[in-house]
This record gives sequence, C-alpha cells and structure tokens, in this order.
Amino acid sequence: MTSRVAITGIGIISCLGRGKEAAVTAVRRGQSGVRLIASFEASDLQCRIAGEVLATDFHEREFKQHDRFTRFALIAAAEAAGQAGVPDLAIPGHRIGTLIGTGLGGSETLDAAYKRIYGANQSRVPPLTIPNAMYNAASSAVATLFKARGPSMTTVSACSSSAHAIGQAAHWIRNGLADVMFAGGAEAPLTLGVIRAWESMRVLAIDNEKPERACRPFSADRRGLVLAEGAAVLVLESFESAKARSRKILGEVCGFGLTSDAGHITDPSPDGAARAMEMAIADAGLTPEAIGYINAHGTATKANDIAETEAIKRVFGERASAIPISSTKSMHGHAMGASGAIEMALSLEALNRGFIPPTINLDEPDPRCDLDYVPNEARAGTAEVFLSNSFGFGGMNAVIAVRTRSGI
Amino acid sequence: MTRDEIEKKVVAIIHGQKTLPPDSISRSTLLAEAGIDSLDALSILFELEETFAISIPDDRAKEIKTLDDMVSAIEEQLATGTLDVKTQGRV
Repeated sequence: MTSRVAITGIGIISCLGRGKEAAVTAVRRGQSGVRLIASFEASDLQCRIAGEVLATDFHEREFKQHDRFTRFALIAAAEAAGQAGVPDLAIPGHRIGTLIGTGLGGSETLDAAYKRIYGANQSRVPPLTIPNAMYNAASSAVATLFKARGPSMTTVSACSSSAHAIGQAAHWIRNGLADVMFAGGAEAPLTLGVIRAWESMRVLAIDNEKPERACRPFSADRRGLVLAEGAAVLVLESFESAKARSRKILGEVCGFGLTSDAGHITDPSPDGAARAMEMAIADAGLTPEAIGYINAHGTATKANDIAETEAIKRVFGERASAIPISSTKSMHGHAMGASGAIEMALSLEALNRGFIPPTINLDEPDPRCDLDYVPNEARAGTAEVFLSNSFGFGGMNAVIAVRTRSGI
Repeated sequence: MTRDEIEKKVVAIIHGQKTLPPDSISRSTLLAEAGIDSLDALSILFELEETFAISIPDDRAKEIKTLDDMVSAIEEQLATGTLDVKTQGRV
C-alpha cells in the first residue's frame, strides 16, 4: 500500500524576504532581490552582488548558536510547521522525519575558522566548528526543534541537493517509512572564500552597477549566475495523515526523477536533464501532455540555458513552445543547494494563487532559447501539474512533479 | 619578455596541467580540439595569471581559442603592468 504525498506546510526565507508571502509578492511583481553584498566587507571582490538575505529579516540572536545555513533552515521549517500544525500529538515523533539538502553546508563557520588559522595565525578555533559546519547540521537542528525522531538524513548534490531531498522524502512517505517529513534545502554560501572560488570559475554575472539586472536567464546578453542564500522547507505528509488531521492540502509531490549525466563535471547534458524530466512524469503516472508549467533550472549561464531548452524540446516535442517556463532565479539568484526547494515552493504558491511566475530581465532572448519563458511580467493562469527542474554540478539531475490544488 | 619566451612558458604550463602528446599544440590548434576542455582551460588560465602576475578579464578569456590567443592575451596584460599577489583579483 503506497501513500500519496501531500504538501501541508511551506516556509521560505530568501533575498525576497522572510516568509512565503513576501517571496510570492515579489515574484508576482517581478521584483529582484539581488543587491550589493551588505553582510560583510566585499569591496575587494570582483563580484560584489548577491541574493543576500536582509539583516532586517532575521534577528541577530535568532538560532544564533548555529551556522547561517542552519538558521535559515530553522526559520523556514518553523514557518512550514506553523502552517501544517506540526508537531501534533496525533503524530508520534518517530513517524516524523527530516531531509534537508545543502550544497556547501556551514561555509561561514569554516571560513571563519580558517581565517583564524591561516589569516590571523591563531592556533585555536571555536569549539562548535565541526558540529556547525557539518552538512547534516540543518537536518539535525530541524529534527531536534520539532522532536522529529523518524528518518533523518541530508542530501548533498550541489544545485540539486534540495530537489533530491524533496523527491527522496516523498518516496519515504509513499513507501511508509514516515508519515510526515520536513524536506527542503538551506544554503549560506556568501563568504569571501566561496565567492572567490566562484569568481575563478568565471561563471558569475558581475554587474555591480545594476544588481537587479544581473541575472538574465535565457537572455541573449546573459552573463552568468548570481549567487544567493536562503532556505525553503516543506512539510510533506501522507494523504491519510493530512486528512485524518483535517489539514489543508496545498499540493502533492506526485513524481520524482533523478539521473546522472555521467559526462562532464560542470558542462550540462541535455540527455541527463531530459531523462530526469521523463522519469518524474512517469513516476507520477502521467504523460508529458499533463504538464502545464515548468520551473526551469535557468541559471543564466551560457551552457545551462541552451542545454535545458534542448532537453525540454526533447521531452515535450512540438508542445514545448506551448508550455510556460520560467526561471525565478532571475529574481532570487541561485541559492545552490536551497534553490530547488525555493523554486518548487514559489511555483506552487504562485500557481495556487492563479499566476505564472515571470522570468525577469528578458528583453531579447538568445536565439537558441526559443520557448515561452514568461518574460518580465507574471501572467494570469495556473497548471494542474508542473515540473521543477534542478541540475547540479557533477551531472546530478533532479526533477520534481507537483500537483497544485487545482489538480487534486 | 619576448613573445617566444611567453609562448615557451605557456606551452610548459599547458603540458603541466594536461597530459598531451608532445607537439600536439601548434600556435593555431584549437585548444578544444587538442582535448583541453573548459575546466582544463580555467586551470591553465589560473596558472598563467599566477605565473605572469596578471589578471585576464572574463570577457577576454572567453575569446581565447588557441595557443596564439593565449600568448596575445598575456602580452596585452603584461603591457598594462603586472599586479601584486594581493590585488590580483581586482578589476
């Protein structure tokens, strides 16, 4: 007996603000959250812009004992838990689990420790460096906060980390390993060390004069990705549990596809991406005709946007140009291991409210990117089922198929 | 430094980064066709920047397709003066 997987809670913190209301309002207006970096002295960097969470969006003492990425996870999880009404005495703690993905874990903690050792010649580092920096810190902290004593793990697959987390958590519920899962991703990669490393890869859009225009997915003049931070956490729950508790079902995680390019470590392959989309659709028991919207990975790198467009055409054939596709990264940047969860959550919120998120900063599309990317302005409409694409370095692809409220 | 001297150093760096048959790279060979992919090229550029104490801007780097292009880009940057290690990353 397998269960359908409901979404009963959503929490988001990003450069678009704290909470899903702030984020979805910004997306409806097509507003960018990319700004000059303010949380540390960035004047030595070539790239001084990012999708940074505003200092006013969380209290400096809030969950202060943790690394920044874990703090974001806890803030997002608390919002989702409030909406889902979890914990609930009706659900035993051992039936609740956590699966929070991250690409880089506690970068800030490690950066600060290394700065003491190599930069300041100090011999000691703070005693919580290891437990704060470890990749599973966020998943562990969310489990502890909500007394979730069931399955708990972390997914690490670069930019696919949180999509893998949501897909895997849904399968755990489907197969009876848990009734409720906190699933999503968290990332806080905005440190000198990490940004320098990205600068060396020469894939950042360095547009310090007009940060809000920097991220231009599918545009002919796109210059690359914009780093970002934040978290999104969903409460996933078996339909039986959600119905028994009379919780509102916001959507359904109905399919999961995951593939490997087994090719180049950073150059994306249309084949791996296409197979992941096909697998997600098949896992949902659907055919491509059922998909009414695609939230693209859409990083705004030269390579991704062309490969992803080709992959979508391969899966959907002639119908590809009739499907609205958008990259919300144009507004919130690329929050790496948190991006898949942020994008899936935003897409569901938008479609449930009757609008399709835009791709902003898209005035002249790349001729090789010739699909409907919902340029610049949100569009009225919805979809019963949509895909959320995430393609990570290492050739790891994860696609989630989601049924919106109108599709259930 | 003469163009030939630069070229010699560049060839040594390429061969240090990537195992290639000797003489597989002429001045006009497309680096991609010689088996140097985008990540190899990034690592080679990084070592060139360190060796020559220069910084090759992203847009200029994207134009580099051959050994000759690499040598020209280095010459251009050397003509504008070298950088010290601390400021190398600055625009």
